[in-house]
Amino acid sequence: MVVAAEEKELKRLETQVENGGGGAWDYLCLVRKLKARCSHNVLKFGLPILKDPNSRSKLGSDEWTLYEQVAIAAMDCQQLEVAKDCLKSLCKKFPESTRVARLECMLLEAKGSWAEAENAYARLLEDNPLDQAIHKRKAAIAKAQGNISSAIECLNKYLEIFMADHDAWRELAEIYVSLQMYKQAAFCYEELILSQPTVPLYHLAYAEVLYTLGGLENLQMAKKYYASTIDLTGGKNTRALFGICLCSVAIGQLTKGRNKDEKEASELPSLAATALMKEYKERAPDKLPLLTSTVKSMKLFS
Amino acid sequence: MGMVGFLVGVFGGLLLSHAAYATVQYRGMLMIVEEEFSRPPMNIVMELVLGLALCIWTALTVPGKFLSILPHSDENRLVSLPANLDFMIFNHRGKVFPLKQT
Repeated sequence: MVVAAEEKELKRLETQVENGGGGAWDYLCLVRKLKARCSHNVLKFGLPILKDPNSRSKLGSDEWTLYEQVAIAAMDCQQLEVAKDCLKSLCKKFPESTRVARLECMLLEAKGSWAEAENAYARLLEDNPLDQAIHKRKAAIAKAQGNISSAIECLNKYLEIFMADHDAWRELAEIYVSLQMYKQAAFCYEELILSQPTVPLYHLAYAEVLYTLGGLENLQMAKKYYASTIDLTGGKNTRALFGICLCSVAIGQLTKGRNKDEKEASELPSLAATALMKEYKERAPDKLPLLTSTVKSMKLFS
Repeated sequence: MGMVGFLVGVFGGLLLSHAAYATVQYRGMLMIVEEEFSRPPMNIVMELVLGLALCIWTALTVPGKFLSILPHSDENRLVSLPANLDFMIFNHRGKVFPLKQT
């Protein structure tokens, strides 16, 4: 999970390294810790360390972690030669390792030789049929080939065995959203909220799926989940604030003309709009008139 | 704050023990005048309540501040989820625009 302070630190280290201020290793460690995908930077900062025998030997056993990190970054940047060199050194050091074998399969993926990669993964699975990472890679291969339905099938099979893997649930949810299968996506997000109830971003994503589904009941649920996102982020999530406004407008339109028993809930949207105004005034004053006119057209203030 | 709180706590404890001692003495006195013990006198009850309040106050303040249940909610909130690296795929513009070797 990436929290605000760590995100700031990552940006600071990046500019520091860019301007030649050192700290490349710290940057790479933080990238690994946050699981950020900044492949071009990792390649740019990590490769010089690997090429220099002096600084490489200073790392001790972390050297091999860096090899792995740079290899993956190089595949991501399509620098297949670099990746091959890294893998060669890793192979020399750990000839029997499954982890290195998996990297080699990933290199095949990066080349686009899907059939070979799949065969290689199948061979690895024979030795260790419950290797989670390899099962995940199989789903990723299917997705990379554009074969979304088989990726879904793969993920569902995987989740039957490893139900607690929230990364996989998240991937499945994102795939469903991309296919506009919102009901299924909502189910995945429910699982995610159950397994990690304090992560506001899952609440937000669930609320968004519900809002997209529409219907009075879903909209009311969506509003509740937007509200819980605000609760969990200390009111700093702009998207959730906008969500509250949009939900209450949509609910208002659906219940127009019917009995007006929703009076007590009318305080929330105007509070959200006030919070939005305040945040815009602080951080983007030039966009404030735009927001004011939008809020006015929603008629949130009575 | 820590030292003051600690002293207040010690004082509260002393009050409680003094109340106990006073009750024992009161019972001894009752035995001499041969009356039944129904309840301790009012001033001891007051002393007990005061001692209890001081002890509670100390126990709540001395160990430290209360934290919010959600540690990220105020300044250090969650801003984004990590990239789902286990499912990373390489189909992106990096294929068409390879990085220039420096």
